[in-house]
Amino acid sequence: MGYYKITCMLYESMTTCKELCHCSLKRLHLNQGQDNYRAKSYGVIRLNDHQGQQPPEPLPVHPAIIQKARFAGGSMLCLKRRMLGLVGFIGGDLHAMSGRLLRCTLRSSAVQQTSGSTHHPQRVWLSSQAPLCGHHTPKHRTGLYGPFTHPKQTLGSSRGPLFTQRVALSQGPNTSTAKIRLRTRLVVTLLFGGGLLGTWWYVRNEKQQNHRLQRIEQLKKVALGQGDFSLLDHRGHRRTKRDFLGSWVILYFGFTHCPDICPDELDKISAVVSALDKDQSLPVVQPLFVTVDPERDNVAALERYVKDFHPRLIGLTGTPEEVKVAGKDYRVYASPGPKDEDGDYIVDHTILIYLVNPDGLFLDYYNRMKDDVQIAESIRNHMKSYVKLPE
Amino acid sequence: MSAPNSNQRKACWGARDELWKCLDDNQDNAASCEKFQKEFEASCPAQWVKYFTKRRDFLKYKEKMQTEGFEPADRPKESQS
Repeated sequence: MGYYKITCMLYESMTTCKELCHCSLKRLHLNQGQDNYRAKSYGVIRLNDHQGQQPPEPLPVHPAIIQKARFAGGSMLCLKRRMLGLVGFIGGDLHAMSGRLLRCTLRSSAVQQTSGSTHHPQRVWLSSQAPLCGHHTPKHRTGLYGPFTHPKQTLGSSRGPLFTQRVALSQGPNTSTAKIRLRTRLVVTLLFGGGLLGTWWYVRNEKQQNHRLQRIEQLKKVALGQGDFSLLDHRGHRRTKRDFLGSWVILYFGFTHCPDICPDELDKISAVVSALDKDQSLPVVQPLFVTVDPERDNVAALERYVKDFHPRLIGLTGTPEEVKVAGKDYRVYASPGPKDEDGDYIVDHTILIYLVNPDGLFLDYYNRMKDDVQIAESIRNHMKSYVKLPE
Repeated sequence: MSAPNSNQRKACWGARDELWKCLDDNQDNAASCEKFQKEFEASCPAQWVKYFTKRRDFLKYKEKMQTEGFEPADRPKESQS
């Protein structure tokens, strides 16, 4: 029993396939049934008739496997098929070609059984213009890994819509079509991938925005800072909440005798305001410092105090009642400690930085854990998502 | 008396830091850090001295809790099954 050995230069592997030979030789303008196969245009080299013996050149696959494949019959998996299939799979529609090259293995054994003539082993050099045998298109892309076609199936039998489709697609005879198809495939994949990425990014942004708005809603429910305050600034001018409408406000409650926390927080606020000032596109932020210690922190004391921080920082004080109203508005807890012999005391108080929008609505708060970068970022986001209330 | 200004604050904090460094080096042995203690008390208002002393105690305690762990309050003993 002879066999055709076709070395596909493209894949550097071998297969045995009389049918492929038949088909490809057809393409190569060769006649079936002749002992001497000569390609008119592809330079087929005729080897000596090995009469079923192992070919002289080294096999890429262990000979035992090839032996097995040759004699096992129609249902045997061809190891080479896997190799080629892998190459083909990666190559995209080279796969189709590899499929075509390979699926023959099984058919060949069937045909060999039926035909008694000897066939000369041939080496067909398949150039890059590899013949695409329409008959040999595989059933499905992963079909290479399983038992293939029934040996008794004839060529050209319908194998389902995929086959027909592939037949239709594969009728193009040259690599330029293959290249175009590969390119198209790549472009389509990239577009699809890009579309997916874009969608994901857009959805993520929407989600973040939703999250932010939700938080604002929650804080609005808490409804801090609804009331009005009337206080004296560190220059002695009366300021009310109304005066600050139309600008963003960063509010902090503290006292001048504070050992470390208030200076730290005010430094942080100064840094935040400076950072936001740098961005020309953002509105200007007004920092406010309201005392929780009106008995000691009068206008003069405040004036001394605020000049150590950002130049725009305004200190606010007033009578104990006025200060209490302002504090209550923001639910600020303040509790003066015991006085020592100097009359000095420390006021225990809420350590929070409040953000108020131009409509006078409390939007957000920041505790000691947030650093100036985080606060600046958060304020920037609030500013961007700020929607002016209708008049 | 008026509140410390920026320079006075910084001086106070510096003295406090020196004192705390000394105490850290000497395993909180107050006796070996007398000098720094005096410096500290001179730079800072009395209230601040008290405040920072309490703060140090708190920080030490917090560190202890975080490193050594703590025993939760006694619970009724569960029977071993």
